[in-house]
Amino acid sequence: MAAGDERALGDLYDRHGAMAYALALAIVGERADAEEAVADAFGQAWRQAGQFDPARGSVPAWLATITRTRALDLVRARGRRARALARAASEIGEGLAAPLAAAGDAPDRGVERAEARRLVVRVLAELPELQRRVIELAYFGGLSQSEIAAELQEPLGTVKTRMRTAMEKLRGSLAPLLSQGES
Amino acid sequence: MTDHRWLELAAPYALRALDPGERADFEGHLAGCAVCRAELQSLRETAALLAHAAPAVAPAASLRERILRDARGVRPIGRRRARVAPWLAAAASLVLALGLGLAYLRQRAALEHTGAMLAARDSLIATLLSPDAGTAALAATGQAPSARLFWSPSRRRVVMAVFRLPPAPTGRTYQLWAIAQGKPVSLGTFNTSPDGRLIAEMALPDGLKFELTAVTVEPAGGSPQPTQQPFLIGKVAGD
Repeated sequence: MAAGDERALGDLYDRHGAMAYALALAIVGERADAEEAVADAFGQAWRQAGQFDPARGSVPAWLATITRTRALDLVRARGRRARALARAASEIGEGLAAPLAAAGDAPDRGVERAEARRLVVRVLAELPELQRRVIELAYFGGLSQSEIAAELQEPLGTVKTRMRTAMEKLRGSLAPLLSQGES
Repeated sequence: MTDHRWLELAAPYALRALDPGERADFEGHLAGCAVCRAELQSLRETAALLAHAAPAVAPAASLRERILRDARGVRPIGRRRARVAPWLAAAASLVLALGLGLAYLRQRAALEHTGAMLAARDSLIATLLSPDAGTAALAATGQAPSARLFWSPSRRRVVMAVFRLPPAPTGRTYQLWAIAQGKPVSLGTFNTSPDGRLIAEMALPDGLKFELTAVTVEPAGGSPQPTQQPFLIGKVAGD
């Protein structure tokens, strides 16, 4: 890797590393595993940079998707599914917004990221309780719709409707972030 | 042809929450439907923003180094080098060749994953079979769990096999130590699966000679030095 490339990868990490790490940690629950997931994700992003298509989405979304996939794979590979689930459930119990509100000490690099965080947290908190649980179980717990239905003891059709409604609301409310593209 | 039913699958697909049958159906449909592809893209961007809802915790400074170190000597595939640096440097305004499609990317990721698992397994076996392999059995100070350690100084790798050890409680991790002249050196953290087993490979510091190995329970992420009494201790076999 040339020195310039190394700097470029460093820049990419400086921009999005904190987001990726927080995401991985929320999924895997342990620092060492979160580091592994993020290192894997950036390695993959680095190797596959040539396949990235800006017409299909933004860089942070691409990195978040890779990181989440790696983190969920790690949870499965370590057979920690049950614990991840329990964690997702307890996060829901407290409401994700609570620990987030207390996370003001986070060394966020960019102001935009802090703003994005505030908006995402607020919009999530504004969702009806059950819609939020469905989204959290899917995104952070990696559960499928039928697994969520079993977990929440709700009919599958209800879970499907809630997930769709919630995603549409999120898309509408988060439009200011979406239209910025690369943030 | 796009109908309502297909569009409804875009949101769960973006969250990777479709059950396998529906996922395959939707992927089949996606290939030929620009409307659903556009819908999916915007929902994917939305889903990715949920990452911001994760509680903010700062990564260790060493993570940046690790990522740069891993990337050294690895050339990105599918690009001419000259164009890579400007791209990543200007990560805000990327202009790259067209991607190869979702299905291809997925397949590729699956292959990479399998490849990585095989490479890990190969490395593990090579350590076990290396001519200079050492071994130690770790017995519990109380009861039940046991572990066996294999290492190869030439490969600088340690393989650990653990039995009957329940996964560490939330917020805690197991940590393996090599005691060299009375001084503990961390070989890494690990955890077991719900069935109480683990076979894992870790790095062995170059030139490290040790007379004892031990396992402690530590706060998640591990400790620089043990904070607890070890519950598994093993003497190096042989000499």
